[in-house]
Amino acid sequence: MNEPMLRFENAAKGDEGLTVLDKPDTACNDKVMNEPMVRFENVTKRYGSLTVLDELNLDIARNEKVCIIGPSGSGKTTVLRMLMTLEQIQGGVIWVDGEPLTHMQENGQMVPANDRHLRRVRSKIGMVFQHFNLFPHMTALQNCMEAPVSVLGLPKKEAEARASELLDMVGLGDKRNHFPIQLSGGQKQRVAIARALAMRPKVMLFDEVTSALDPELIGEVLNVIRKLGAEHDLTMLMVTHQMGFAKEFSDRVCFFYGGKIVEQGPPDQLLGNPQNERTRQFLSAVLEAR
Amino acid sequence: MNEFPLTFSVLALAHGLLITIIVTIGASLVAVALGLIAGLIRVSSLWPLRWLAVAYIEFFRGTSLLVQVYLLFFVLPFFGVALSPWAVAIFGIGMNYSAYLAEVVRAAIQAVDRGQYEASIALNFPRLTMMRRIVAPQAIRSMLPPSGNLLIELLKSTSLVFFITITEFTTASKLAADATGNYLLFFAVALFGYYFLARALITPLVRGLERRLSSGFVREALA
Repeated sequence: MNEPMLRFENAAKGDEGLTVLDKPDTACNDKVMNEPMVRFENVTKRYGSLTVLDELNLDIARNEKVCIIGPSGSGKTTVLRMLMTLEQIQGGVIWVDGEPLTHMQENGQMVPANDRHLRRVRSKIGMVFQHFNLFPHMTALQNCMEAPVSVLGLPKKEAEARASELLDMVGLGDKRNHFPIQLSGGQKQRVAIARALAMRPKVMLFDEVTSALDPELIGEVLNVIRKLGAEHDLTMLMVTHQMGFAKEFSDRVCFFYGGKIVEQGPPDQLLGNPQNERTRQFLSAVLEAR
Repeated sequence: MNEFPLTFSVLALAHGLLITIIVTIGASLVAVALGLIAGLIRVSSLWPLRWLAVAYIEFFRGTSLLVQVYLLFFVLPFFGVALSPWAVAIFGIGMNYSAYLAEVVRAAIQAVDRGQYEASIALNFPRLTMMRRIVAPQAIRSMLPPSGNLLIELLKSTSLVFFITITEFTTASKLAADATGNYLLFFAVALFGYYFLARALITPLVRGLERRLSSGFVREALA
């Protein structure tokens, strides 16, 4: 029972790095590295009598890039929302970095997590939304500074340096003083990515981040995500309709249908030679639409 | 027309105007303060608090302002609480309008896009910080126009304090009209007097606040 706490302490050391994003954590031993970053264990999500996810089991390794595809209503977005604690779950346990997210251990018993525990574990996760959800009353820079200052307690100067660096990274250094209303969709989404990264998460969730964009703006956002994946140690979980991007970027693709993972595997295999009838139907419908 | 009643009436009118301004400002401060508190409690996550706010809002919004003022002035003394007419005027009118303002506050908070709350959770904001830094700045902006309406209404309701012995602007106009017989003049003064008061006191305040809080929202920001 002591072991999970020990593992958390090791992992927490990575948070103190001076670079914008976590570099490989040398303090981690092999056991930690082999443990999944995120684990869904028999997770069930219901809205009233409607079961959206039925006993989901899914492990995501450290630094793994996983794309989730599937028709609407298949529960794919719900997976991300549960992990971000935007949805409550009705059964099972979600683990993040070796710790239960939705529960905590008390006298050897698993009890529902309190707010303090939830906030501590949640700090390892960042999310980017389909509709950006930038704060409209703040500039791009302020959007990226607000949470580091008022949640992490960073001094303003440090938060500003961090935010500037991240805005430069997403190619928006010159737009730092623009309000969201003055930015294009692609630019807004890149600010949203920088804002999430400013909290230095270990896991990044992307929920259909290009679905609300004009086609010609999709590329700039995907390029930022590519760069992130290539240059930083981040576990990424992405709900997407960009099959080309999923194929080239991800380590694994999961196909959701009716609240279950119907098929999963390396992108070449799942997208190139799907075994399941549902997957084939979905992929041919998606490809036909192009 | 006799000189004496006219001079006397103009002075009384100025005095009445001053009283209307004082009651309006006092009652507005009470209304805004209590309205914000009741509105915030109204959207609390704890249901007993929510119910308390609902009861407060329903009582003050649902019953007559004049009767509420009468109750405070004539009935409370029976229970040993004798308030001055001024206190009754300022708190009576203030509490009544705070109930309307509480609903404005609630609507404005609930109108803030769901995505803003979700982004705040994703960035791990504690609830109070989220309300203060993210929700309030956006909600206050949309509270302003309806609040301006209510404050103008409040200004015009202050004439009810006549019934609790205070000679405010409308009463002074009526007395002046009676004393001089010049009804057209003095009611015209009263009619436009309220308009100019609203225009001078309330509209600039609301407009100024709107302008201050509009960064990031209006098209002017594009320039």
